[in-house]
Amino acid sequence: MTDILQLITQPLAYPFMLRGLLASLLVGTLCATIGSFVVLRGMAFFGDALAHAILPGIAVAYLLAVNIFWGALVMGLFTAIGIGYLSQRSQIKEDTAIGVIFAASFALGVALLSTVETYSVDLTHILFGDVLSVSTADLWLIAGLGMVVFLVVFFLYKELLVVSFDPVLAATLHLPLNALNYLLLLLIAMTIVVSLQTVGVALLVAMLVTPAATAYLLTQRLWKMMLLGALIGAFSSVTGLYISFYINVPSGAAVVLVSTFLFVLGFLFSPRKGLITTYWRGRRVAKKEAHDRTHPYTA
Amino acid sequence: MKSILEIKNLSVGYNGGLALEDVSFSVAPGERVAIVGPNGAGKSTLFKVLAGLLRPRSGKILHDQVEIGYVTQRSSVDWGFPVTVFDVVLMGRIGKIGWLRWQRSIDREIAHRSLEQVGMAEYADHQIGELSGGQQQRIFIARALAQEAELMLMDEPFSGVDLPSQEAIMGILDRLHESSITVMVSTHDINMAVERFDKIALLNRRLVVFGQPQEVMSSEKLVDAYGGKALLRGEDYAMLLGDIDCCGEREHQHD
Repeated sequence: MTDILQLITQPLAYPFMLRGLLASLLVGTLCATIGSFVVLRGMAFFGDALAHAILPGIAVAYLLAVNIFWGALVMGLFTAIGIGYLSQRSQIKEDTAIGVIFAASFALGVALLSTVETYSVDLTHILFGDVLSVSTADLWLIAGLGMVVFLVVFFLYKELLVVSFDPVLAATLHLPLNALNYLLLLLIAMTIVVSLQTVGVALLVAMLVTPAATAYLLTQRLWKMMLLGALIGAFSSVTGLYISFYINVPSGAAVVLVSTFLFVLGFLFSPRKGLITTYWRGRRVAKKEAHDRTHPYTA
Repeated sequence: MKSILEIKNLSVGYNGGLALEDVSFSVAPGERVAIVGPNGAGKSTLFKVLAGLLRPRSGKILHDQVEIGYVTQRSSVDWGFPVTVFDVVLMGRIGKIGWLRWQRSIDREIAHRSLEQVGMAEYADHQIGELSGGQQQRIFIARALAQEAELMLMDEPFSGVDLPSQEAIMGILDRLHESSITVMVSTHDINMAVERFDKIALLNRRLVVFGQPQEVMSSEKLVDAYGGKALLRGEDYAMLLGDIDCCGEREHQHD
């Protein structure tokens, strides 16, 4: 028992580990909260694309030696609005518009980064996350921006719910449909920027989608889905971080694998929607029916 | 009597042609109006314009800030969405609650009462996907009630719905009438329109005829609207033959 306790507390003796842990917790909860909208509105591809499209912003910030946060934030907000605008106004289908912008932007980012000498190491960190390099200043930024996102979701919960569930009702109630949709894009962008350092560009979409999807399988109301998703996200993040500490795999990969494992459990065993649960329920009903047929008077 | 809604020379177009052309009529408070016409006649378009989802190309819609409730055809939302029946009805309160606030106990009360009015109170905690088509239709009516709509638009509430639900919806219409809520219902069942409504608007892109059931049924124009497929039976009733049931045109969908 003390051994297990030691396994848990020992890494916390390192300040970088403590900072990483706090960052992971924040990011895990935030991603699942916003991710609930991403899952319900079918925006996984948008989220993935946005994470990749941020790369030039990071690269420029890196070259100018400012905090990569600011580069990512500016680029993220611009791309979110750009994709939103293009998919509304042009003759091109939305996923095509996203595909074009995302690949182009990612390519530009790679090109810019390749001018740096330590290119390959930096790119790996950006792609797969480097949670242990989170500084105290980074932590404040994550907490600050994260809090903004949480507050917006808290105060506009009913409006965001109705534009996601039934845009027609939102329009009859004279809610500003467009503004709310753009707001959601911006919230997704901010969440992605905040999460970059812990999971990295390549795996970010999993943090947005997987815990929220697991929660979707287990709940019947949006706010419960968000809460449970946040719990699952936080748990996966922390567990992943420990795994990465002990067996030295990138933290982002470990976190995503843990949350995927939980998703598979939910997918198989969710009381209402699980594959195996519904199969067994079906078997039991069939057995009972067969029993009732052969023993008609015992019922 | 002063009208609650006045439609003047309304024309609505999609990309190409006109879906509605030069439609004018007015509705008195508390009246039950059936919008009758074949598929593609512009019934859904008319409701969308009234609900503010589409802009008219020309013409005017006049009403004094009337709260409009719009009950769409069932297919338009994701039935797997994690919301309960109660959540959906509560959405009708958003306008009354206002920005940056959460629901108050009065909103929950009103939502609950609305559910009772459509006989769905016992389903309050069910996820919406667990309901039958008719039940889904009823919770959307409850939502419009929670919205405190004075004018209620219902797009084809009877299509794709089982018989008990049809009767339940009929009962709800009667209760709405008792509480003097103005109701406009689109349907392609002219018999029902004749039996249950105060006014009938026969629509086929243009307004063919508008008036009380007897006037409409005695009008020769009825035959025009249905392309000669209406058969007069007795003095007041018409039976419709042929292909007007459904579907073939892209204006709306059932499931």
